[in-house]
Amino acid sequence: MTTLRIDGLTVTFANRPVLNELNLVVPAGAFAAVLGPSGCGKTTLLRAIAGFITPFSGTIRFGDQLVSVSSIVVPPERRKVGYVAQEGALFPHLTVAENIAFGITDNKIKSDLVTELLQLVGLSKFANRMPNELSGGQQTRVALARALAPAPKVMLLDEPFSALDAALRDELRAEVSELLKSRKTTTLMVTHDREEALVVADVVALMRDGQILQTGTPAEVYHNPISAEIAISTGDVLLLDCAKDEAGKISSVFTPTQLSPSALPGKLVIRPEEIKITAAATGLSAKVIDLDYYGHDAVVHLDAAGARVDVRIAGPVELKVGDLVGLEHVGPIRWFPN
Amino acid sequence: MPKSLSISAVAVILLASIPLGYLVIRATGSGIAVAAEVIGREKTVTTLMTTISLALLVAFFALVIGLSSAWLIQRTNLPFSSLFLVLGTLALAVPSYVSTYAWIALIPNFTGFAAAVLILTLTTAPYVLLAAIAALRRIDATQEESARALGLGPTQVAKRVIWPQSRPTLLAAVLLVLLYVLSDFGAVSLLRVDTFTRVVHTMYKATYDRSAAAVVAMVLVLLAAVLIYAEQRARGRAVAAKSGLGTIRTATKIDIGNKKYVAVAYLFVLSAASIGLPIYVLVTRFIAVSNDLDISKLVSAAAATVTAALAGALLAMLFAIPLGLLAARYKSKVSTIAESAILVTHALPGVVIGLALVALGSKLGFLYQTLPLLAFAYAVLFLAKAVGSVRTSFARVPRVFDDISHSLGNSNWQTIRKVTIPIAAPGVITGFLLVFLTAMKELPATLMLRPTGFDTLATEIWAATAISQYGKAAPYALLLVLIAALPTYLLSRPDRAQVDQSRENVGL
Amino acid sequence: MVIQNYERINLRKYLGLAAGAALLFSLVACSSDNQDEAAAELTIYSGRSEEFIGTFFADFETQTGIKLNVRYGDSAELAAQLLEEGANSKADLFIAQDAGSLGAVADAGMLATLDSTVLDLVDPQYQSDDGSWVGVTGRARVFAYDPTKVTELPSSIDDLLDSKWSGKIGIAPTNASFQAFITALRQLRGEAAAEQWLTALVANQPLTYEKNSMIVEAIDAGQIEIGLTNHYYIYEVAQSLGRAINVKDGFFAPGDVGNLVNVSGAGILNTAKNSAGAAELIKFLLSNESQNKFVTDTNEYSVLPDLPAPKDLPSLKQIGSPRVDLTALRDVAATQRLLVRVGLL
Repeated sequence: MTTLRIDGLTVTFANRPVLNELNLVVPAGAFAAVLGPSGCGKTTLLRAIAGFITPFSGTIRFGDQLVSVSSIVVPPERRKVGYVAQEGALFPHLTVAENIAFGITDNKIKSDLVTELLQLVGLSKFANRMPNELSGGQQTRVALARALAPAPKVMLLDEPFSALDAALRDELRAEVSELLKSRKTTTLMVTHDREEALVVADVVALMRDGQILQTGTPAEVYHNPISAEIAISTGDVLLLDCAKDEAGKISSVFTPTQLSPSALPGKLVIRPEEIKITAAATGLSAKVIDLDYYGHDAVVHLDAAGARVDVRIAGPVELKVGDLVGLEHVGPIRWFPN
Repeated sequence: MPKSLSISAVAVILLASIPLGYLVIRATGSGIAVAAEVIGREKTVTTLMTTISLALLVAFFALVIGLSSAWLIQRTNLPFSSLFLVLGTLALAVPSYVSTYAWIALIPNFTGFAAAVLILTLTTAPYVLLAAIAALRRIDATQEESARALGLGPTQVAKRVIWPQSRPTLLAAVLLVLLYVLSDFGAVSLLRVDTFTRVVHTMYKATYDRSAAAVVAMVLVLLAAVLIYAEQRARGRAVAAKSGLGTIRTATKIDIGNKKYVAVAYLFVLSAASIGLPIYVLVTRFIAVSNDLDISKLVSAAAATVTAALAGALLAMLFAIPLGLLAARYKSKVSTIAESAILVTHALPGVVIGLALVALGSKLGFLYQTLPLLAFAYAVLFLAKAVGSVRTSFARVPRVFDDISHSLGNSNWQTIRKVTIPIAAPGVITGFLLVFLTAMKELPATLMLRPTGFDTLATEIWAATAISQYGKAAPYALLLVLIAALPTYLLSRPDRAQVDQSRENVGL
Repeated sequence: MVIQNYERINLRKYLGLAAGAALLFSLVACSSDNQDEAAAELTIYSGRSEEFIGTFFADFETQTGIKLNVRYGDSAELAAQLLEEGANSKADLFIAQDAGSLGAVADAGMLATLDSTVLDLVDPQYQSDDGSWVGVTGRARVFAYDPTKVTELPSSIDDLLDSKWSGKIGIAPTNASFQAFITALRQLRGEAAAEQWLTALVANQPLTYEKNSMIVEAIDAGQIEIGLTNHYYIYEVAQSLGRAINVKDGFFAPGDVGNLVNVSGAGILNTAKNSAGAAELIKFLLSNESQNKFVTDTNEYSVLPDLPAPKDLPSLKQIGSPRVDLTALRDVAATQRLLVRVGLL
């Protein structure tokens, strides 16, 4: 089990920094997800860890081993890192078994290991197929097996599920994370899909503009984001205008109060499930303008004193458009200045 | 860039530049006065005009014929399409000097510029045909269909979707055609069209002053360099591959209805002109003049041809692989210059290359007039063809494979050996076949460099036609076409291993 | 990942196949080439084609047991190659179709002086002035003509400048023998007059051909009526077409420069490994037997003083070759420039 430690990593491209003094620690055996929008540098981060690109400055450690110090790098073939690319990237000229065996150097254990891995990813009967005969999901599984074969210290996954359709994605996601966690392989997966990050990861790192802004468990980054932006990245939010004075009192549409003139304007971050719908008389009065019914839950769109509020409620819903209800805030106060 | 790769690439570049170096030495050896006199002749200007207009016209017609044939074969419901593909490619098996004298035999007054345009077009159209077929196969149908859905008509689709993606391949083929016309001697000498190569040849034959000829050859080099530069500018940026995933879908064939009779007739006439006619003339000449056929001589000439061509092709591929890798993976100013030097060499007449290697080879004593040197000559002569297809096929191996192979513990060379080359194999084989085919037909350098007594089919044809015994030449010419038909056929078969990137791996 | 119909191509298999084929073919190709190191050998660069001289070589081999390695090619190209090879040349003997090629090689100092036993066999007119090469057969310049169309034969090359011949004359300006004729013209009349003659000829719109045989074929086909060529081409063309042709050889008045008799000849290289064998071969070619064979088989003139002319042709004495030093014919470069100036090259 290897801890992945990245300190002050800077990677430049055409004299512009793509990764900017990036810090990240993935505990040994943990499954970490790096969540960020397209263009934030996630793939660059992965490639730097793998050794495909040379950083400008900073260090990368696998456990105690320094693999990258400024521009002095250990080449990828000596890092013992597993890499699963976005599109699987199976070698088209080799069979499934040959693909998996590609990184195995010890000929004595080769065929046994391949059989074992095939079984592990549920593709025992596909050993002699060619990659172009496989479906997307099957290709991803073979790519995973191939990367695991040489027993890497760190596994790197580059949005491996983004190409698959929804149902398959959920299933495969669960399989893969289970597999890697059971082998206690330190894994880093980059994704732009926040659901994916929250569901599978032990640790979520929020990335933007070449830097890691916040690291924590899924619960931490969901419930305690350190900025409004991160809150938006990790889940649906309701942003309410509000103000806060030096005394710490907050005035919002839920709790309107008089504040001193020096109060700072800001935003209140509320999760849709943190608002309760009550009888019309209690709390903030609002009118139902729309309903999205998902079966297991529903999102109710309301108009509260001119502000648009979306509330997520579970179970059967008896509201109709036009109903007048009351809204109550039952969650933490998360205030961020503008 | 791995050091060993750059070393081998540099070594190859040096070897391949020997003819150019020789030319420069000879040309500068004569002194400025002679050079000025040679270049300043009025004849030089006319020769320049003739050469350029011949090259451009041939390129234009070859492009038209090649593209139209490719489109008919690949994209429409033309009957016998695979047959026409084979026939269209088969013209590569007929050397220009053979088809020229066949046409002359049939039409006594067949000479001059127009005749040269005809012959050279028929000779070079297959290159465009092959390139166009390859390009059309690679285009994703969904792109075209989306374009149609957006309201673009078929011509618009051709212009804005098909053309941009096929452009690099087609431009490369056009460049090869242009350079071939510059270097061709067989056809233009028989048809008495004064291109630079013919002038160079004449001057070598008549003056024994190789310097003046070298000066003229240098003009040829400059011309070639201009063309190469123009092609590089026109090629522009590398074309983005498809976006989106899934297997590439080939477009459904267009139904051309009754026009297919016209199409069939068109392609039939082309095949008749480029292959049918030469074979017919060869056979009738052979029959008309009763000569006793020396079978053993025929067989040994055939064996010699195949051996030398095979050796040359193998050597060419050995040279082409590091260069192709360099150009595809580690593109730099150096690699561009190297490519240009090789292309310029391609434009040189065989006599120049032959003499260069005679000059060098005779100094090497033991190597002179041996098969290895002849193979080397072929490799240098036709390196451009090999590098082109090797480079393209290496470039189409997505970089992500290199990364994955590295992550699985393989060094650069191991990756090249286990991943890049196997995936690029079809392109490598195409390059091999092209060199093999062209080497079989080569004449001037072979005459000079072959081991004494080692006669190829081409030299036997020459020996017979030199004393006007066209009937005697016929069996050798026929056998040459027959043997050349095999690699030609292999060249026309569909590409394998189309692995394309679904999105550009920019690394960000 | 977009993967399209991949088929496994085993590169190793291809490579093995190619290499194996190369090996196989090389065995076949080289089997005819068995070098017998014990017997003597001779390397010849021959500008005369195998068709015409091959049998002579075969006879020589049988008679003497010396193995001949012959490199056939174009005389001028072989000369260029020899010049390029220089002291490293492997050739023992150079046989050329014309004096010019021999002269060029001699000029570079590459030919050894021939033994007097060889030189004495041949009229001094048909050898070099310094003994570096000797003529083997005679080749007369003639005008070939269509006897049905041409009734009044020209007696001088100047007659061809008459406008009645406009568009009806054929010449082969790239050919060594035509250039030899022009060189002789320059020698005899001087540069200015030669240029004058050529300019006037060009004004008469002659048709140019790449090869002498094409001139004869063109006359036979009716394209032109008369052509400047070598005497033996009418026989060569008739043989290749397999039928009689409508062309005859005509000679200008004796002494006219148009009657130039050139020679094919041989010279021994300075760097020859087997000069004795080379000299033996030259003597063989100059033997009565061989010379008679030249006359009957290829219709060439013999350079021996007493042998008859080819069938139906006047003897060399009767032709009256102009008094030109054959050695001087090597000054082709200046002839070349002249031809370029008048636009024929």
